[in-house]
Amino acid sequence: MSADRSQQVALAEGLARQEQVGPAVEACYAALRLDASQPHAHALLAELMLAGDFYDEAIAAATRAIELDPDCAPAYLALGLAYDRRGGMWDQSILVWHELAEVVPDLVTAHVQLGEAFSLAAFDEEAIESWRRALELDPAEARAMYNLAVAALKREGVPTALPGFRKAGELDPSQDELFFDLADIGPLPRKLPDPAKVADDRDSRLHAAGVLARAEDYFGAAELVRAQLDASPDDADALALSAYMYLKQEAGNEAMACAVRAVMVDRTSVTGMYALGVAYAKRPGLNRHAARVFSALAAAVPEHPMPHVLLAESMMGLQRYSQAKAAYRHAVELDPACVRARFGLAAVLLTENRHAEAAWEIRRAAYYDTRRQGLFWELYDEYVEGGE
Amino acid sequence: MATNRRSGRASKRTASAKPVNAADAREDAVESERPSAPAAPPVPRRNAAFPLGVDYYPIDAEISSWDDWYARDPEPDFAVFAAARMSLVRVFISWKYLEQQVGQYDEEALQRFERVVAAARDHGLQLIVTFFADDRFSELNDVPWGKRRDPRNDSYLIQREVSLVQRIVNRYRAETAVFAWEAGNEAFLSGFTSGRELEEWAATMREAIREVDPDRPVLVGCDPETLFRASGVDARGAIDESELAVSHVTAPYQAYMAEGPVVSGPATYLDSFLLRSARRDLPVIVDGAGVTSLDYSPAQEAAYIRTVLYSAIMNRGGGALLRRFRDMDTERREPYFRDPYETLVGVADIDGVPKPSLAEVGRFARVAARLDMRRYTLAPERTGVLIPAERYDPPPSMAGLFDPRATLQAYISAKEAHLPVEVLREGDELGEMSVLVVPSAARLLPGTWRELTAFVQGGGSLVVSYGGGDADPTVRELFGIEFLGDYGRRRELTCRVAQPDALGRLEPFGCILDIPHFALLGGGGATVVATDAKGSPLVTLNSFGTGRAVFLAAPIERALAQGDAWAAPPAVRAMLRTIYGALASAAGAALPLACDSPQVEIALFSGEDDDILLLLNHAPEKLTAQLVAERSVATVADVRGGAAATVDGTAFGVPLAPNGAAALRIRWS
Amino acid sequence: MADDAPLKLYHAFVDQDPAAAISVIEQARASGVTQAHLFDALFVPSMGLLGGAWASGEIDEVAFTQAAVVAEQVTSFVTPPSASADTGVVVLIGCMHKDHHAVGKNVAAAALKEAGHRVLDLGVDVRPEEFLEKVEETSARLVVVCAELLSTAREAGRVRDMLTSAGHTDVVILVSGGPFDADPELAKSAGANGIVHGAESALRLVARVADDRAGRAEA
Repeated sequence: MSADRSQQVALAEGLARQEQVGPAVEACYAALRLDASQPHAHALLAELMLAGDFYDEAIAAATRAIELDPDCAPAYLALGLAYDRRGGMWDQSILVWHELAEVVPDLVTAHVQLGEAFSLAAFDEEAIESWRRALELDPAEARAMYNLAVAALKREGVPTALPGFRKAGELDPSQDELFFDLADIGPLPRKLPDPAKVADDRDSRLHAAGVLARAEDYFGAAELVRAQLDASPDDADALALSAYMYLKQEAGNEAMACAVRAVMVDRTSVTGMYALGVAYAKRPGLNRHAARVFSALAAAVPEHPMPHVLLAESMMGLQRYSQAKAAYRHAVELDPACVRARFGLAAVLLTENRHAEAAWEIRRAAYYDTRRQGLFWELYDEYVEGGE
Repeated sequence: MATNRRSGRASKRTASAKPVNAADAREDAVESERPSAPAAPPVPRRNAAFPLGVDYYPIDAEISSWDDWYARDPEPDFAVFAAARMSLVRVFISWKYLEQQVGQYDEEALQRFERVVAAARDHGLQLIVTFFADDRFSELNDVPWGKRRDPRNDSYLIQREVSLVQRIVNRYRAETAVFAWEAGNEAFLSGFTSGRELEEWAATMREAIREVDPDRPVLVGCDPETLFRASGVDARGAIDESELAVSHVTAPYQAYMAEGPVVSGPATYLDSFLLRSARRDLPVIVDGAGVTSLDYSPAQEAAYIRTVLYSAIMNRGGGALLRRFRDMDTERREPYFRDPYETLVGVADIDGVPKPSLAEVGRFARVAARLDMRRYTLAPERTGVLIPAERYDPPPSMAGLFDPRATLQAYISAKEAHLPVEVLREGDELGEMSVLVVPSAARLLPGTWRELTAFVQGGGSLVVSYGGGDADPTVRELFGIEFLGDYGRRRELTCRVAQPDALGRLEPFGCILDIPHFALLGGGGATVVATDAKGSPLVTLNSFGTGRAVFLAAPIERALAQGDAWAAPPAVRAMLRTIYGALASAAGAALPLACDSPQVEIALFSGEDDDILLLLNHAPEKLTAQLVAERSVATVADVRGGAAATVDGTAFGVPLAPNGAAALRIRWS
Repeated sequence: MADDAPLKLYHAFVDQDPAAAISVIEQARASGVTQAHLFDALFVPSMGLLGGAWASGEIDEVAFTQAAVVAEQVTSFVTPPSASADTGVVVLIGCMHKDHHAVGKNVAAAALKEAGHRVLDLGVDVRPEEFLEKVEETSARLVVVCAELLSTAREAGRVRDMLTSAGHTDVVILVSGGPFDADPELAKSAGANGIVHGAESALRLVARVADDRAGRAEA
């Protein structure tokens, strides 16, 4: 590889990483004019086209990259995603994801996408097997779980699927995100607070406790919450945070006790409502109660999609599918990238026999999830390093 | 060489889009509206100015071979077409079957074709005869003696093509059952590698036909947009020499422009967008109406057919042809990764039994028959959305990828504002336009800026959204702004309204939307109508000459199109349609009818004594469109008959089913 | 229910006395509190007291956890009934002969079952004779015929024919599937009494049929 070509490709890479699509595409073309046999230049072009949702162009570029180097993992990724997002190419997509799963066996997304391609091609057993393999690699892979829940729904209806959705939801970080948004706890700082050194005022204690809870240091957090409750036993926010931590530690009754108390003390406590609703939702037979609480939460924080999702799930449990659909749709309007809402909407659409629309929602969930993951650069960097 | 659109005046070539006399002559086909009421005027079975038809492919099963070309007796199928009130049937010549040896035309093949012609004649139908087509199954042009030469550019094969064409045309030149001659279909034409080559070939075929038949319309069966996308060949030059044009959505074009459910979002506007963009002084038949994939339910297929048919008649279509009659009998597979031109899904199953979508065609035909185009005129389009010339720039320019989508989004916004809207190409004459929208172009031709300046100066209204890069110096004077540079990308769009009511009822909003560029504007005399969160102008309005010019500081149409088009932020969509609508209303380019539902498309056909209003619901949910007219409405009735509802006011509501349509006769007070 | 019932229940939790807890619950039931209301009327307030006691330090962490264990033990006494009461309505459901599209059937069947109806799922590829056999075997008066293909939807009328010729003219037949959604005339020509458009629609229609029947029976 000559220095000129390397420079041109490096320039294209740099522009692509900065998401300067137009200049990056120009640089790719310039690189390819100099030397059309560079697979990573074609792979880069594929990714750029995919980012713009120009699927046929992405397919052409990725295919060329693979022709030049059958081990070009980033090209397989771009090709598979282009096929899946374009639609109607499940046979091809299955081959690509199979191949990628062999080239990069621990790439969870490859198994999830493979499962979805199988499912759309009506190979249901193979789809389930792929999603299970994805979960073996990563037990917290939410989309694999949602897909399994949808598969269960198709075989056995909503009663079997709903617990699957809820379980997936608990492992899906977006639900925890809701709690921390409600509690006004931002992203984790570089250095976690030391409980022994936190100032003795309410705000400092609760904020530090929230940060530690977010970092899953429940002991540290519990210490601070205890201190606050000792000072003020009727602190609804402290009670709600305790409830949250008990929920995360699977102590359902303790969580319920704290959450009930929080809401009794302050009916407007959104964190209390969250914890109480989730505690109710964990128990069969309490869908009505959960729905009541989530309805109030959704009214209190209408701009957040997750309360609408939680409400929708309760409605599914009550067989009020139209209301569930309305709540899911509202969540999707608020956040089109809410994977849980998309899968929930797909489930409701399946109860209405609207299979094509359900499949579309699942594909949209994949679209947003895979865009968020940004896997291309991981594979690309490994590929480039591997080649040098 | 692609030519620009001619003036809005009627072309000298008086192309007849309607079938020649076959249906009209059949008096016994006319049915009475109310047989028991002798005084009721007869209602035609079909609308002669909007013929319906179907592409009738020669084989219907994958296991069939090339010599099964029209082997099936066409009579039962043609009976179904006639019963469904169709007028046109497109058929495909098999050169391979007809000329199995050089210079010798197979008698059996000619007999089979004669049988097809006879079936059409017997049922009062007319044929569009396509000479050189590729249907991906029948090997129509793979003449065994052709030695795999390319029929598009091999001179010897072209000579033989001329012979074939003249033989067929000569045989049927007096045949009333032939409506038009089509040189080739898009699948075949996509094999051309240059516009010039295509034009030459089309001209050769046309001359061959004209030597024998001076009268019948001749067309090339390709949509200029979809062909350009598929092969990079600009067919406008070839199309302009024809008497008819076609438009159609192909599977790859749909995947590029509107990949998503066909019964919602941009997909429901795509057919009419292509129809509008194909209209270059020629009547356009909307071709290929129907779904392109096997994924949809019968209800969705029917809903989509309904949408395409109503969109076509509401947007000056000259007729509509269904994609296919019978489903192709295939092995279970996913076809489209292999071939963009495969056509597998029809309006009847593999046994020819009609699906719900064919019933939809019959229902539409009944409604269309009530719309006598001699008595009713569609409201003129005074708003135009411009496709920039940069759209034809080859890669690495991204304009060819961004601009069509942005233009579709602008078109949809104009439709949501209930504006009669045309799609123009840069360089086309502006004709009678009062409002122009130039969405998110990075660069316009120098001449265009002069033209736009003159347009506004002369009283026109213009909306231009910034498309990135340096702004043309013209913007300073025309828009009354100083362009200070590109702020660059931002992930959200905020709108704060500085001048409420300057451009309709704009509402402030903030939303997540990936904006690739944002123009930094300085003051220059324009009114700042809205700004971003920090006061940087977002929407400006300038009076220039006797017209008005609006500048949007971000490529909003492109941002909506490049984002998730099915999840476009409602506030941004509302902003665009409010701006377009306000400009159009002030310029007298809006309909005299307001509607509260942006997803309802409206077409108003004006008559002497009454008007006909067509409404199409683009959403898959039912709704009631509340309409407010500028004049008092006396009564509203369904065009198909029944009691008229008294309104005696300016407001009335029309309930619409999911993807539903309504055709109403309005009498004014 | 006595006003201090929640307090008594709370004490039972803290005293780690499940028998006492059960006794409190039974007394509440005996006083007229229905199963559906026990949770809200009794359990939730007692949990609130428990949470408050823990928050104020009245009970320590260990006692809290042990009280929660007792609460778990009696939860089944206070949880509203999760399964709906048996309606006594027998519903036969199956996919038409030569039709293997089971998803719609599965979803509707599960929903009807969850709502308390006695659902007999005949599976896929069910011949009209099999529908008849099951009707005679179970005395079912409600049949849901599912068909997702046009060809099988057109054959759905054979089920009505089969039942009619065997004298079962009072059986309500509902049809379900895409072809019927697209063309309601198909359902009419199949002799169906209604179209099921999915799970919620199935619940509504079956409930209506059941109500009609009950109304006629009373009359």
